[in-house]
Order: sequence, then structure tokens, then C-alpha cells
Amino acid sequence: MLTALLISMLFGGGSTAVLGYIADAEDRVKIVMVKDERRREALGTLKAMKKRTNARSKLVRRSAKSLNKALAQDKANAADIDAIWDGYFAGIDQYDHDMLDLRYKLKEHINREDWHEIFPGPE
Amino acid sequence: MQQVICEWKTVFLFAVIAISCAGCASKDDLSPVEAQRQAFEDLRSEIREVIDEPARESEALALVDALSEDFHTLREKISERRQRARELNADYDSTRADFESFFDRVDEEIKSNKRRVSEKQRALFAVTTPNERSAISKAHTKAMDAAIRSIQSI
Repeated sequence: MLTALLISMLFGGGSTAVLGYIADAEDRVKIVMVKDERRREALGTLKAMKKRTNARSKLVRRSAKSLNKALAQDKANAADIDAIWDGYFAGIDQYDHDMLDLRYKLKEHINREDWHEIFPGPE
Repeated sequence: MQQVICEWKTVFLFAVIAISCAGCASKDDLSPVEAQRQAFEDLRSEIREVIDEPARESEALALVDALSEDFHTLREKISERRQRARELNADYDSTRADFESFFDRVDEEIKSNKRRVSEKQRALFAVTTPNERSAISKAHTKAMDAAIRSIQSI
């Protein structure tokens, strides 16, 4: 059961950071956009997205560690464990919305044509 | 609940190790999906060997089949989610509402999947004796680890 929960935690909550890949567009931005203020702003936003995604990864590790610690106790408390899950899912939800904010901030610096070149969509 | 936690603690610890290896290449020649299939087949063999009562054996095997199917479905769902996220992001005119709706749907899927898999794991726990659980523990851990690796490989 615990492994099932762990899988849900890793691959369910936030579904492995579905917007996280946007942060990896740095090279595409450098190729597609001319070197100007807009590009500098776009790169800065991508950097912020990467930082936010790294923080999410830390949350996953921290939550797993807390769960492990809680479960290692002789009297593992279901309420404590639920509280860890709740905190984890709340953190993931916040991450999704932060990334959405950053995605729209990024869009402010990239015109439609460049956007399609940088993010061509799934094959 | 507490007993369940203790019984499966080893499985959990093994899975934590799997997290730290996320992204590592598989050491054997099997693809992650094939490795998962093989690990679940090994678990079925172990159950056939360990559980003597035909009725409980059948029940346990049916639960493992259903669990394996759930993980395959989860893998497909995650793949679909990524595809949909890329479609939404690629569309310059996607609205926040489009994304919010997508997040809500994913959230529902997560809850549903978590409930389904947890129920089957609990049922598997209930249908086996402590000695049987101990005997199949290693094969069970390997099957779960293979499932994790298969999903990580998407």
C-alpha cells in the first residue's frame, strides 16, 4: 500500500511537473529570439521556472524523507502521515499555479511567431 | 493501519531508493515495460508457490493482474497528460481557464488512481497470511520497483 501511495506522490501529484519542461527552452529562446531586452526578460523568466521546479523536486524529496521518518517510528500515526501527504499535495498545487503565472509572464516577452518556433507542440 | 505500515515498510524503503536512482539507465537488457511485465510474472509465480489454498491463490492472482493493469493505465495517463500539457502550452491563445480545467482533471485522475491502487494493495494484504506476505515480499517489492521505473522512463 505504501508503495502505491509513493507512486501516487511521485507520479500523481502534479503528474511529474507537466509544465516543468518549459524551463528547458533556454537554448531554443537563444536561437529563435534576437538578442534584445525581450530575450533577456524571457531568459530570466525561464531561469525562475527552473528554480521553481528545483524547489518542487526538493519538496518531493523532503516529503519522502518525512514519510520515511514517520513510518520508521514504532507507533506510526496515520494522522501524521496524512498531514505529510496533505502538505505535499498543497505544495504541488501551489507549484502548478506558480508555473502557470510564470508561463504567462514568459508569454509577455515572446511574440506569437517566436512562441510557435520555441514551443512547436507535441509531434 | 499500523500493522499494515510495518509490514510494507521494507517495500517503501526500497521505493525510496528507486527515487534516488530516477533517470539512471537500466542495467539489464529489458526495456522498463518488459521488466515490469517480468517482475509481475515473477510475483504471480511466487504467489502460486506460496499460497496453498486455491481460492485465496486465485484471489491474490486476480488482484495482482488488476494491479498490473492499473500501473499500465497510470503510465498511459501520464503520457497523455504530458502530451496535453504540451498542446496547451504550444497554443499561444490557451487561456488560464484551459490550464485550470486541465489541472482539475489531472487532480481527479490522481485521486481516483490513488484510491484504486490502494484498495487493491489492501485487498492483497487481507487475502494473505503474515507468513505468506513475508514470503512474497521480495517479489512484491521488485514488481513495485519495476512499475516505478517503467513510469519514470516515459
